[in-house]
Amino acid sequence: MHDFAYHRPQSLEDAANFLRTAEDPLLMAGGQTMIPTLKQRLAAPSDVIDLAEVPGLVMIDVKKAQVSVGAMLTHASVASSPEVQAALPALAGLAGNIGDMHVRNRGTLGGSIANNDPAADYPAALIGLGATVHTSKRQIAADDFFTALFETALAGDEIVTSVDFPVPELAAYMKFDHPASRYAVVGVFIAKFGTDVRAAVTGAGPCVYREAQMEEALTRDFSPSALADMTISPDGMNTDLYAGPEYRANLVKIMATRAVEAALKGGG
Amino acid sequence: MGVDGNYKWVGKRTVRPDGTDKVTGRALFSADSSMPGMLIGKILRSPHAHAKIKSIDTSKAEKLAGVKSVVIGKDFPNLPNKTISIGILAANFSEMSDKLMARKKVLYDGHPVAAVAATTSAIADKALSLIKVEYQVLPHVIDVDEAMKPKAPLLHKKMITVGVDPAPTKASNVASRCEFGFGDLEAGFAAADVIIERTFKTKPAHQGYLEPHGAVVSVAEDGQVTIWCSSQGQFMVRSYCARLMQIDEAQIRVIPAEIGGGFGGKTVIYLEPVAMALSGRAGKPVKMTMTREEVMRATGPTSGTSIDVKLGATKDGKLTAGEAELRYQAGCYPGSPVGPGAMTAFAPYNLENVKTVGFDVVVNRPQAAAYRAPGAPMSEFAVESVIDEMAQKLGMDPIALRELNAAKEGTTAPYGPKFGPIGNEQCLEAAKNHPHYSAPLGPNQGRGVASGFWFNVGGESVASVNINTDGTAVVLSGNPDIGGSRASMAAMAAEVLGIDYDKVRPIVADTSSIGYNDLTGGSRTTFASGMAVCNAATDAVDQMRTRAAKVWDISPDAVEWSEGHARPAGPNAGDFEPMSLADIARTSAKMGGPITGRAAINAQGAAPGFGTHIVDVEVDPETGHVTVLRYTAVQDVGRAIHPSYVEGQIQGGVAQGVGWALNEEYVYGDDGCLQNTGFLDYRMPVASDLPMIDTVIIEVPNEAHPFGVRGVGEVPIIPPLGAVANAVSNAIGVRMTDLPLSPPKILAAIKNGS
Repeated sequence: MHDFAYHRPQSLEDAANFLRTAEDPLLMAGGQTMIPTLKQRLAAPSDVIDLAEVPGLVMIDVKKAQVSVGAMLTHASVASSPEVQAALPALAGLAGNIGDMHVRNRGTLGGSIANNDPAADYPAALIGLGATVHTSKRQIAADDFFTALFETALAGDEIVTSVDFPVPELAAYMKFDHPASRYAVVGVFIAKFGTDVRAAVTGAGPCVYREAQMEEALTRDFSPSALADMTISPDGMNTDLYAGPEYRANLVKIMATRAVEAALKGGG
Repeated sequence: MGVDGNYKWVGKRTVRPDGTDKVTGRALFSADSSMPGMLIGKILRSPHAHAKIKSIDTSKAEKLAGVKSVVIGKDFPNLPNKTISIGILAANFSEMSDKLMARKKVLYDGHPVAAVAATTSAIADKALSLIKVEYQVLPHVIDVDEAMKPKAPLLHKKMITVGVDPAPTKASNVASRCEFGFGDLEAGFAAADVIIERTFKTKPAHQGYLEPHGAVVSVAEDGQVTIWCSSQGQFMVRSYCARLMQIDEAQIRVIPAEIGGGFGGKTVIYLEPVAMALSGRAGKPVKMTMTREEVMRATGPTSGTSIDVKLGATKDGKLTAGEAELRYQAGCYPGSPVGPGAMTAFAPYNLENVKTVGFDVVVNRPQAAAYRAPGAPMSEFAVESVIDEMAQKLGMDPIALRELNAAKEGTTAPYGPKFGPIGNEQCLEAAKNHPHYSAPLGPNQGRGVASGFWFNVGGESVASVNINTDGTAVVLSGNPDIGGSRASMAAMAAEVLGIDYDKVRPIVADTSSIGYNDLTGGSRTTFASGMAVCNAATDAVDQMRTRAAKVWDISPDAVEWSEGHARPAGPNAGDFEPMSLADIARTSAKMGGPITGRAAINAQGAAPGFGTHIVDVEVDPETGHVTVLRYTAVQDVGRAIHPSYVEGQIQGGVAQGVGWALNEEYVYGDDGCLQNTGFLDYRMPVASDLPMIDTVIIEVPNEAHPFGVRGVGEVPIIPPLGAVANAVSNAIGVRMTDLPLSPPKILAAIKNGS
């Protein structure tokens, strides 16, 4: 690890000021990606700005039609919240299967989506549910938030504060996790809002995306059999030491089918 | 006492003497030692799989402020190119030295080319970046079958295969050939109704110890060397360092740290001689610790292998002949465990006609190191897979086929000797009768069975038992405690002395405090060092009997020792009040001085271990993912001195074997460089990947050991590869022969049907 200055601002404004003034700043939420990155010297920030003591970022607000989650809420807190479990079990289930227990006890929603790892779980929930991201500056629709591999719509001095998740009629997330990292080799989030169906895929491509042909098929018929004859093209899919594009393309269909089955059974 | 006795401490689940320190974090591992003025040493490693070193320029690094010494290959002694035996090990120190620090060529990605010692870690890193190495990259070869081809790039231009008559005239990557067996293969296969031939492949697997290698080395002004490090043998470290650095063993004191796992991977050294060279030049102590990336790139995994098996049987299940050719990756210099692989392959079976041929093949990878039961898991995986397939073809139960052909007392082992009393049949019977074996299976589920055999090892051990005047005892032995051996030593000493377990304190002594011990390996410690401890305790008991005899003025032969007391051996011996160990110890000053029992032995009579494992898996037919549902491991250990640590060793071996079967593999790029250098990409199983591993301990005592010990640690890693592969094959109806059984590979097999 290289040396850096460590800051623990007490307000969102102070944190944003560090982002504006420091030479090469890096925000720290739960640190579950950032600290390993520092240790491997893949990042060498001049300043690390820890959001742990910024007020207002640790909250859950569950209403009938919407679940709002603060950016600094840990995965474990989301997973174990009885309100989230009742209102949006697919989200609680997703959070409860991120990484391992240690990651879930430190890792946060805001950190996950701001990092936009192509295999992270939360981006699938945001896209699948059509969520809205609140930042220190504005609101951003999830569909506009994730722009490319490890890239988001966030400005350099912009900080995620919370995410609003609309509560769907039915939803579920299914992932095939990497045996070591527990990241999604492929994860699919399916949500049904009345006649509108959204299908978000993570892990398969360079960035989370909506699978249009699945959404169309499921809009016509929200059942596993609606996907049975679908062919998913492996073109442009990720390849790594574990699996290639063909294997991932197969997983997209399998995980989507299982997500529909799970959604019909009540989600999770 | 005796192998069938009822014991007070042997076989009990006592609290381990090292437990508290390990739980509280007080235990000192290799990286925990520090000294005033200590420098940090680091190694520059080759980025190429195979290259000629044209030049190394260290001048800029040497000039960097804070850098205290820099060494390269030429700074180490050149040694004769021949193999020398040291205890149970054999080593070629010329090759070992070149592996520690490359001379003319680098032979794998990660091969050390230079090292620095500096006042801080950051300065050491900076210094490494200032060393300029000019390479001429050479073609490389990674795969064992590729390396055996006539036109393969040669690692060593003068290497002529040993063990072939007449000797080849052309150099190759095949370092040696070995052969075992007897009988008439042709007649055996002619008598068979069914013959199965298959080729199997396994990937290198790393031992995966949690503690990376580390050492603190101080070379004093008078040349005295002190080494704090964790290893599987402080005497191994001393022997190797003395020979590599050409100094006397008496000048080196190796103090063993607690060891955070070894599994065979710490039977070799990587850092200590380098730290010696750096410390000697700098005049200050040097600490060196590896990163996980260094551990993965540059320490020894076990060999990747390619194995052909041919097995014949009559239609009623009698095995008529078995043949195997084994090709093992040695890494950059000779030394794969193909020998033990070839010896163990068919060992669980009574075969009249058997032949195994092994080839030790060099490739551009780090030198293979021992990994639990070196060589056996791969060869037995291949044979156990074919046994399973044979049972299917014959319509027989796989355990019944094994029982029908089981090696037993009197069977000639495929590697030569006749087995004495062994527990092979008992393990098979226990497995067959275990409720697991008859439990129903659901859809997409499969059950696999496999057996395993390991020789177990004796060797040289020294132990002392010091009786304190308050009636307690300190047991000194010389083997690093990897699997709970201190608890076992204390239990055996307490049993022999007849005092309470918590009155016995066992310690692992340094090389200057006790006589020579072979390292912890081959499942020898509880057997051989345990025997030494028993003998030393018996020696102390004899001294105490003699003292009681003097007090009572009778012959020592008329004094017996039981329950911690000297007693008259019978009515004829006289009527005396028994004297306790504490009574005798209290008066030791008046009775001839301190009581110290000693033993120095080369333990003979190591007895083989067998095991039979059952595993149930479920294969997801749409993704190829395997879930291990249930696992039962049966093993003959001779005597479980401490059942909890026996179970722990069995469970650990199973976990590692399952990882080898399902997940673990080294992934090399086209450039010959390792791509998965950490646990994020090299998956070892963790608790959540596995069910509870049930263990069944069989005790067929080894008469050569005072309590019947055979050894535990090697056998349990052998059957999982075959058992898991058999279970997966049975679940999907396709024979899986290429480990690891990753989901993409299984899915492809399901889709292709072969």
